[in-house]
Amino acid sequence: MNNDKHLLSAGLHIVNRHKRFIVWFWVLNLAIAWFGAIAFRQAITSTLDHSLWADRLLHGFDVPVLIEMMARPDTGSTEVPTKSSAHFGLVFLLATLVFLPGVLENYTHEGRLSCEEFFRACGRNLWRFIRAFVLFAILAGVLSSILFPAEGKLVKVAENSTNELLPFYTEIACLAVIFVVMTLIRIAFDLGQIDVVFRDQRSVLRSVLRGFRFAFRNLFSLLGTYVAITIISALILFVGVWIWHIAVPPSSILGAFLISQVMLILFLWTRFWQRAVGAAFYLREMAVVPATYVVPEPIAPTTALPEPVSSPPTEVPPV
Amino acid sequence: MPLSRLCATVFLSILSVSAPANSQAPAKAANNASTAASPIPETTISINSSTPLSQRVVAYAIDAKYDPKTHTLDGAEVLTYHNLSGQPLDHFPFHLYLNAFQPKATWIREAKAMGTRDVEYDKWEDKEFGSEDIQSFEAGGVGDLTSKLEFVQPDDNNKDDKTVVQVTLPKPIAPNEYVQFKIKFHDKFPETQARTGWKRDFVLGGQWFPKVGVWWHGSWNCHQFHATTEFFADFGVYDVNLTLPQDEIVGASGVRVNEVKNPDGTQTLTYHGDDIHDFAWTASPRYRVAEDTFQGSMGPVQLRIMMQPAHWSQEARHAQILKQTLDHFERWYGPYPYKTLTLVDPEPDSAAGGMEYPTFITGGTSWWMPEGIKFPEIVVEHEFGHQYWYGMVATNEFEEAWLDEGINSYTEVKILDSVLSRDTSVMSFAGMTAGERELQRMQYATVADFDPMARFAYKFANFNSYGGVTYGKTASVLLTLEKIIGEDTVQKAVHTYFMRYRFTHPTGEDFLKTIEEVSGKDLGWYFKQAVYGTQVLDYEVRTFNSVPTNWYEKNAKEKKGEALYDSTVMIHRKGDFLFPVEVEVKFANNEKVREQWDGQDRWIKFHYNKRAKVESVEIDPDHQIHLDRDNFNNSRTEDAHSKPARKLENYWIFLSQCFSQFLAWWAI
Repeated sequence: MNNDKHLLSAGLHIVNRHKRFIVWFWVLNLAIAWFGAIAFRQAITSTLDHSLWADRLLHGFDVPVLIEMMARPDTGSTEVPTKSSAHFGLVFLLATLVFLPGVLENYTHEGRLSCEEFFRACGRNLWRFIRAFVLFAILAGVLSSILFPAEGKLVKVAENSTNELLPFYTEIACLAVIFVVMTLIRIAFDLGQIDVVFRDQRSVLRSVLRGFRFAFRNLFSLLGTYVAITIISALILFVGVWIWHIAVPPSSILGAFLISQVMLILFLWTRFWQRAVGAAFYLREMAVVPATYVVPEPIAPTTALPEPVSSPPTEVPPV
Repeated sequence: MPLSRLCATVFLSILSVSAPANSQAPAKAANNASTAASPIPETTISINSSTPLSQRVVAYAIDAKYDPKTHTLDGAEVLTYHNLSGQPLDHFPFHLYLNAFQPKATWIREAKAMGTRDVEYDKWEDKEFGSEDIQSFEAGGVGDLTSKLEFVQPDDNNKDDKTVVQVTLPKPIAPNEYVQFKIKFHDKFPETQARTGWKRDFVLGGQWFPKVGVWWHGSWNCHQFHATTEFFADFGVYDVNLTLPQDEIVGASGVRVNEVKNPDGTQTLTYHGDDIHDFAWTASPRYRVAEDTFQGSMGPVQLRIMMQPAHWSQEARHAQILKQTLDHFERWYGPYPYKTLTLVDPEPDSAAGGMEYPTFITGGTSWWMPEGIKFPEIVVEHEFGHQYWYGMVATNEFEEAWLDEGINSYTEVKILDSVLSRDTSVMSFAGMTAGERELQRMQYATVADFDPMARFAYKFANFNSYGGVTYGKTASVLLTLEKIIGEDTVQKAVHTYFMRYRFTHPTGEDFLKTIEEVSGKDLGWYFKQAVYGTQVLDYEVRTFNSVPTNWYEKNAKEKKGEALYDSTVMIHRKGDFLFPVEVEVKFANNEKVREQWDGQDRWIKFHYNKRAKVESVEIDPDHQIHLDRDNFNNSRTEDAHSKPARKLENYWIFLSQCFSQFLAWWAI
């Protein structure tokens, strides 16, 4: 348990030391979403901007008026704006893929990387991260195609019960299991990605397998830490929406924007916190001396450092 | 008995004074009834009246035994029919509606094609199968006629449809004579479809016994069961003995008059219903039951609320809306004469929710139902309303569904507006609101030009059009009628219609004539478009502009309040529905001008010469024209106010960001 706390606080320390990444990613996220929303904006302004009926959407949120707006031929189909936003969402995914190696490079090193070092790390690892993404997609796809139909079948069986709540509880339990499994996969890939960056590892598969090995070896502490952070992010979302509902007047655009963006920044922060936890864990449990880097300082005076450069990588014992 | 006969005759004679000629002439019926020895009982056990309220054409005595393990029922029915047709009758059609749940039946065929809410399954399974087999059929005086039964398909000639069976008697039944049919039948209930059948250990017995058609307007009216249709039957008396296991908790139409525990572990419950035209029942071992009483104007009404265990905390909500609805109907439209009303919260995830049978309705809720979401209230209100519009004013739901569903949707809007408030009667949850009248309008707006209201229910273009027009358009038509003749007048007309036609089978013409009579206005121009036509009502503020009168002068300066403007406002009738409209023009100095336009031409222009520019123009500023398909083009402002769009855009961006972050969270 103490170890969990250490991981949480060590991760928190790392993520707070590199807050600028969260701001960058938030700006990127907002900008991309804003571009994605252009189609939606164009669709609704012709209907809303000159109509008094639109006030029902401003001073409150009248659902039938929203339906009426969406049903108007002038507004057009929601398909185009939805696709537009979805595609821009994929752009954010790709941007994360591109810039994440730089972030991880920084998380696993003391001090601050220069811009050049940051982008060099991004470029060096881009193709590796794409391969890791493909591996993850395959594995997650296979698991999803097993777990979700199984969940569906279990819920269907539960629906035969005369206890009305049983299907709901079954669904929640199944989703919890799926969440845990997927989180475990995510942890392993997070560690694998860090390994790729930290050791400049060309074999992504080897790094991912190594990630799995350590993830399973430290299952409870890592899983507990990741789940705890996920719960915090869910609480942020819940509390944020609640504050939005009670404190922000329906017609306050600025208020809604600020509270929603604060929520999203905190949401990003929790994910980076998980990454940082992965980095902290990696440095304690998995780190090897990379060929081109010198370990900044000895981790423990009593521990003999591994031989650098030519000798095969050895693991640093836990702190 | 002679006294009650006299009372019945007098009562029916009174009814006949106000009833229309085409509603099965009660005066003649009363005379007929007085000359024949009636085997149809004149009981008043289940009504708060000392005399019968309807012209009782039928009397059903049914012994039924239900087996919950096989979902089957064996029944013996004795039907006494009074021939009030005024002519000899030698053939009789019967509904066998459980036969609708067979793969080649018309109901399934239509439901699959239209995608109704009940037929979501892709594969046919045995549990979907329902059947209603007549094992023996006898007619009094002529013996066994089982071999004479033949299935008929009066609507679509689908030979695989067995929902209507007809028997031809060797000897016709003379006018005013009675005939008694003895029918043994076997039912197999489907897993709930169309508000009948079983789900887990629950069963709802609807359309479960052979029921004779209605002699109406000179011929038998006995339609096949269709995916969009409901029912039509004659008033009468029902005595039903229901035998089922002792652990079953049972609710049914009418009043329970006897209860016997049998040695074989079953119980036999006896129900009696007066002046009703159908009988439904439900059973489940898991109901939790609450009893309550409503003091109606004709006497106390016992309310029996049967809830699912997981919904027990919502019992008070159900009781409250039920009593509020009863109270409003009594005050606004007329008395509820029955002694009982059973409200059933049906099995979750069953197709048994939201249904009406005489003195018996099913609601619809789930275990999670926040106070701000009013679905249970809406369903209970709506289904109770059917006790009036279907139960007592027993219109033909096959041919004029708008008379029950539509009028009921209108009264639903009025009552929910009163009980729950206008803009939040459907929902006030997490900052979102929805009102019933706007939802009704939206339901219709998307299918406004497909079908007229006055169309047979099974002939609509599709399920959406049936729902949108029958429910939504009718409600919107009557709400818009309030603008023409006044809210109080519409309410008075609906009240008059109910009082005049309760316990009869009126038509749409009867309803529309009553409105004209009460309002004293010729409303043919409106009904022709709204009820019988598919014209779309849509007026828009096309353009407006304000030009300084001295625009041509050099160095002319615009000083606020001093410069004179020539302003022109153009209103355009986009649709083909002609309707008078009011237009409010607001000027920059806050002056408002209201204009009237008969709406006949395609467009009209209003000109002004004032010391202020036009700031905004609005058609129907009091929002009384609920038939207008598009409310957004009913107004136009000079300056763009972008806040509503920016608010929605902000929501959209937030959701997009959530989506993309979530994606990146898991995938990278």
